[in-house]
Amino acid sequence: MNTVTTSRQVLYSIENVKKHYPIKGGIFKTVKSHVKAVDGITLDIFKGETLGVVGESGCGKSTLGRTILGLETATDGVMKFKGDDLSGKTPKQLKPYKREMQMIFQDPYASLNPKQRIGDALEEALIIHTDLEPAGRRSKVNQLLKEVGLKEEHYDRYPHEFSGGQRQRIGIARAISINPSFIVCDEPVSALDVSVQAQVIKLLKDLQEKHELTYMFVSHDLGVVRHLCDRVLVMYLGQMVELAPVAKLYENPTHPYTEALLSAIPRPVVGRKTERIRLQGDLPSPTDPPPGCAFHTRCPLATERCKMERPKWREIEDGHFIACHNK
Amino acid sequence: MSAETASHAVTVLPKQKKDYAIISTAKRLVKNKVAIIGLFIIFIQILLAVFAPLFATHDPVKQNLSMAELGPLTEGHWLGTDNYGRDMWSRLVYGARISLFVGIGAVVLGLAGGITLGLLSGYYRRLDGIIMRIVDLLFAFPGILLAMLIIAILGTSLANVIIAISIWSIPTCARIVRGSVLSIKKQEYILAMKSLGASDMRIMIKHILPNCMAPIIVFATMRMATAILSTASLSFLGLGAQPPTPEWGAMISAGQDFMWTSPHMIIIPGIAIMCVVFAFNVVGDALRDALDPGMNLEN
Repeated sequence: MNTVTTSRQVLYSIENVKKHYPIKGGIFKTVKSHVKAVDGITLDIFKGETLGVVGESGCGKSTLGRTILGLETATDGVMKFKGDDLSGKTPKQLKPYKREMQMIFQDPYASLNPKQRIGDALEEALIIHTDLEPAGRRSKVNQLLKEVGLKEEHYDRYPHEFSGGQRQRIGIARAISINPSFIVCDEPVSALDVSVQAQVIKLLKDLQEKHELTYMFVSHDLGVVRHLCDRVLVMYLGQMVELAPVAKLYENPTHPYTEALLSAIPRPVVGRKTERIRLQGDLPSPTDPPPGCAFHTRCPLATERCKMERPKWREIEDGHFIACHNK
Repeated sequence: MSAETASHAVTVLPKQKKDYAIISTAKRLVKNKVAIIGLFIIFIQILLAVFAPLFATHDPVKQNLSMAELGPLTEGHWLGTDNYGRDMWSRLVYGARISLFVGIGAVVLGLAGGITLGLLSGYYRRLDGIIMRIVDLLFAFPGILLAMLIIAILGTSLANVIIAISIWSIPTCARIVRGSVLSIKKQEYILAMKSLGASDMRIMIKHILPNCMAPIIVFATMRMATAILSTASLSFLGLGAQPPTPEWGAMISAGQDFMWTSPHMIIIPGIAIMCVVFAFNVVGDALRDALDPGMNLEN
């Protein structure tokens, strides 16, 4: 797949990745069923791009990010980072790869140890991954603090002395401290207020340029995604629905789910009312996703075929992929 | 972007205003009047224990049968003497040393065991079942019976009392730590450390343990009271300190036969035990309030 874009270098390639959580029950704690949080994602992430992942709450976008980073063990699938297969590697063998991949978390209040000084928190990654001397680590930490817009004096501070935006900057500094090439941003700005959001997004962009970072940007904020991302993946119930360059997706959403999702963005244009597509019914349980196309229970275009057959992932135009029978 | 520059000029508090958790906790602690009494008693005990040779007026084990069973406020023996003519005050002072030593020893050992088991069982779900069943087993014995059983196996001595009481503290401590670990383990900063590639050991020691210190500190303080009381009980039963060691429980035990003729022989060590146990309990209670995260919210 992605034949057109072979000119770009693939950083991370995942194939049919699944993450199922067992539900245990009964006296003997036998596995009753599975929550299919991520159910067969095939994706190439290119070097230097920002890939947005959007979808409703519970569609598995965060789980996908964590699975890609190896924070959750994938149930199935092949993950190749820079061409090296990561499956079956021991934790020790994975350590150099962990250094390349980092994560920025959603909640800046929960993602920093309240009992640890900021300097120590930033230094910790350097202790784990480098053999710098204490003085070298200190100057690196100072440099990191400045890079994310904080000050050297903040070294001795504890997390509760900072605002949400500042804490998120610390989280970002921690993520870039060991020069990773790939960062999963798990809704990094959704806990911040709008003015701070803009600053943090700008910081992320600056850092991307400076360090040639590749981002996977998990978000439910479609406005932010449009602003920041190069390509967008739409997920529904752990499955891929549509993947397209950001302009194409927003101009020409093809999958009915994407259309519905995008129509929910409020548009500040006077006199031009776009019709909001309202989906009927609730999100089905990921424990027991509908057969065939997972979206058929709520899809306005659903046919008999959608109930029986899972739609193929196909390319409808350059770099624009979709999983739908009817488009 | 003006907001950007604003964030650079962030509220840099002056250094002396820095709010250390330990200082704010201490401030809240001394607001509690009863806790101050408790702290005072503990302070006195520590003082007596550390400088026992300075405070003692006589050799605590030296017998002087011509001066036996003197009542309190006798000249030269202001708390009187026991049936062998040993100075009660000196015995009391050295007894403070023993009970403090046994208390600290038992609590430290118990904490070491309990924290280790609690961390392991909270962090590794696979070990949880096994460790918690062992803990349940220890819980099944009444505490003092368990201690007596251990002493029966190991033999009577103060060192074995420490071991017995520490083993008795392990299950409670393990449960407390496990509970905290389970809740802290789910915090995002633990996941952040995992994504940085931190080892389990590093996560447990540097990130989980410091965040579950509050209940451990409270437990340790309260446990001091229990340990001191149990040492006295075991010594009273003849399973702990052996004569002529000036242990408070042993002193009461020895004074039993003279309780009608020389009641001070049991009343004085009894009051000492009561005060110290009361002090540790009260301070433990106050610490629990002072460390309560609900009251920790800064305004």
